[in-house]
Amino acid sequence: MTELGIKRFSSLVELEGMREKLLNSRSASAKSIHVCTGPGCVAKGSFKLYEIFCAAVEGAGSDVQVQAKCVGCHGFCERGPIVVIEPGGIFYQRVEEPDVAEIFRETVLGGRVVERLLYEDPNTGKKVEKANEIPFYKVQERIALSGNGLLDPTEISDYIAEGGYTALAKVLSPMTPEEVISEVELSGLRGRGGGGFPTGRKWRSCRQAEGSPKYVICNGDEGDPGAFMDRCIMEGNPHSVIEGMLIGAYAIGSEHGYIYVRNEYPLSVERLKNAVAQAKELGLVGETILGSSFSFDIRINRGGGAFVCGESTALMASLEGRPGEPRAKYVHTVESGFRGKPTNLNNVETWANIPHIINRGGKWFAGIGTEKSKGTKVFSLVGNVVNTGLVEVPMGITMRRIIDEIGGGIRDGKRFKAVQTGGPSGGCIPAEHLDARVDFEELTKLGSMMGSGGMIVMDEETCMVRVAKYFTDFLQKESCGKCTPCREGLAQMLYILDRITDGEGQVGDIERLEELGGLLEGTALCALGKTAANPVISTIRYFRDEYDAHILDGRCPAKECRGLFRYEIDPEACNGCGICLKNCPADAITGEKKVPHVINQEKCTLCGTCWEKCPFTAVLKV
Amino acid sequence: MPTVTIDGCEVKVKRDATILDAARKAGIWIPTLCYHPAVPSEATCRLCMVELDRGEWKQLVTACNYPVRRDIVVYVSSERAKKARRGVMELLLARAPESQELKALAERMGVKGTPYPNVTDSQRNCILCGLCVQVCEQIIGKAAISFAGRGAERTVAAPFRQPSEDCIGCGACAAICPVGTIKVRLHKEQQEVEISPFKSRVKLLVCQECGTPIVSSEVSEQVLRKSQIDWQEFRELLRLCPKCRRSQTSARLRAASVYK
Repeated sequence: MTELGIKRFSSLVELEGMREKLLNSRSASAKSIHVCTGPGCVAKGSFKLYEIFCAAVEGAGSDVQVQAKCVGCHGFCERGPIVVIEPGGIFYQRVEEPDVAEIFRETVLGGRVVERLLYEDPNTGKKVEKANEIPFYKVQERIALSGNGLLDPTEISDYIAEGGYTALAKVLSPMTPEEVISEVELSGLRGRGGGGFPTGRKWRSCRQAEGSPKYVICNGDEGDPGAFMDRCIMEGNPHSVIEGMLIGAYAIGSEHGYIYVRNEYPLSVERLKNAVAQAKELGLVGETILGSSFSFDIRINRGGGAFVCGESTALMASLEGRPGEPRAKYVHTVESGFRGKPTNLNNVETWANIPHIINRGGKWFAGIGTEKSKGTKVFSLVGNVVNTGLVEVPMGITMRRIIDEIGGGIRDGKRFKAVQTGGPSGGCIPAEHLDARVDFEELTKLGSMMGSGGMIVMDEETCMVRVAKYFTDFLQKESCGKCTPCREGLAQMLYILDRITDGEGQVGDIERLEELGGLLEGTALCALGKTAANPVISTIRYFRDEYDAHILDGRCPAKECRGLFRYEIDPEACNGCGICLKNCPADAITGEKKVPHVINQEKCTLCGTCWEKCPFTAVLKV
Repeated sequence: MPTVTIDGCEVKVKRDATILDAARKAGIWIPTLCYHPAVPSEATCRLCMVELDRGEWKQLVTACNYPVRRDIVVYVSSERAKKARRGVMELLLARAPESQELKALAERMGVKGTPYPNVTDSQRNCILCGLCVQVCEQIIGKAAISFAGRGAERTVAAPFRQPSEDCIGCGACAAICPVGTIKVRLHKEQQEVEISPFKSRVKLLVCQECGTPIVSSEVSEQVLRKSQIDWQEFRELLRLCPKCRRSQTSARLRAASVYK
């Protein structure tokens, strides 16, 4: 930071002074190229784009005021890589390497818009220039993700310039720990990791708990399939998490913090480490922060890839160097957690909300959302939906608005069947409940849960028994195996589900699954086991007819389970091209050239090659 | 002292005693498998489920590790608690179908077999309660065995599934195993003790007179280190098996002709 003329801050005034200096140094006419480096865009090569932009900036000479920066996930992953040109917020999508020169020449230097790279609203057919005019963004309200797409996550100066660490300054200016907790309580913020426990109340219990030292932990062990909310916050705005933890630690009376990140997120680890190092250098983390008597240190720990380590007690065990297995929580972790000491653990998104609550007040936050679920929630919207990506919406929004307005509806004009929320141990919600409001209570009532915010949309061609089997298989593999119901019960459930999707289901299997589900919910040791039956129970609740069709009629209505449907050739559509015949590995297809072909059902092995190969979609699943 | 009301029967216990302690004090039976007073309760088997009255709702909790901190009301014989315990037992019976101990416990609970297919796993008949692992590490101080694998693949094993060099052949794991899966096998010809199924073998001290095995040599060394007795003195004491020692003592006494 010394190159920016920043030394270690020894007072609040110095931090403010630096912020002013940073803002003054920005010229109004200076252009800024924001290249998205969220996971989706990176996978599509955005780091390379960033490099090319950097080279273009260098080549432009010093008289052109322009900078290229990598920013955190914009959320609209479906349309990545995303490049935004500021000021003006011109939103380019699906940018490829050859486009860089054009963007630089036209927009950055020439001030003109490159029409072909703009987003086209599928409803109106019009090109949209700015992000906030795109339907995907219009409905969203961004708090935890507000810094994403704006800040360079590798530069603390960017965060400070945009008002970063003002909440910490406010807390140290000083608020009493009591006042901080009251503010968080007033906000109504509830844990974003899945449990939904009131954050303020947790802090208060931890503050009041006897014992020292006290620990503060950030749970970044995001393991739900298809979920990447926390990842994008850690990679896109790591300082917001650190600032949240600092405030929490001050309120609780802790000097030691840990961020537990899964090792499969190397960029998260790198950016958090970098952020902590920068904050330490400036005296925002470490001893006597901003000249106050408050000290707090943060360590980054990497998780070894066990899903169950997202469970708080398992995470703490892993942090202590023991196998990541949960323990009973009859004595709460705020009383006896990490190393047997009072420990306050919150999820990444929860921590990222804290600076905003302190800055804008708990009352402001409580003004968003529903009666019992306040604020916003980040969801990763994936599956058979047109616009996949990361979305942040106010609590209480209906599922329909998320899927139709933000998600743009179902892909390929198919019909909606169900949406799976809450991660692998969430439940599937059918079309008739699409107008349900998304909040903690409502989702639980529907047999699903908020979880950490996974949202998987499924279309009519999805077999719900297979969906239940997929998640049961995942959970069975990720179960630590410590307690009987989770270890044995899930294995037995999977055994039954396997049987059903193989067409060998027996009468009574559904009841047996329900009984096992009830047993898991009541007797499993941790939340993973207690909720593990949700996918099965919720699909039985809403799609029992599909289970019946598998078991009683040996038929898979969605035509996904091999052996439970046939392939037939539609004589109307078939023009006898012979491609299916040539590719059939079982010689089950016969027919003369230019005459509709026929599948010999006795020879057919149901491999599906003909269905894949037919250029005229004349092969049907029946 | 908080009062625990179990199925209407009141009993006072010390703060932080468990529901199981209270039930035992009141003479009420709750089936347990992974509970043993020698080691801390991990509540892995989930067999001791009881229903705790929380006022607005009732919650199933494990009796062996739920700490009593205030007056509570608990139901051991409510339908829900019984159903939960039965469900757990049925799963365990599929896991350890050949254990006589488990069958006897199931019968006492009124559970007549299991609706589930048997688990055809490599470590059949082990209910993975972890008592053996705990006793080896925490009481014996050896950690010769440990859990390996995760989820349905979980087993109790010595490192790399090979005979453990740390095993002292004490047999504490076999003694504590609630389903009789761990066995101590004596191989008299080789003068070795084997802990099955871990295949660990340790040399035995045998009676110098009749060759009967007395104790594992490693155990005697551990005892020696802890008690600080001289080896010669110790070996003198343990030279003979109890039977030979008795007959030799009586012969000596006879020779001293006390009763002549």
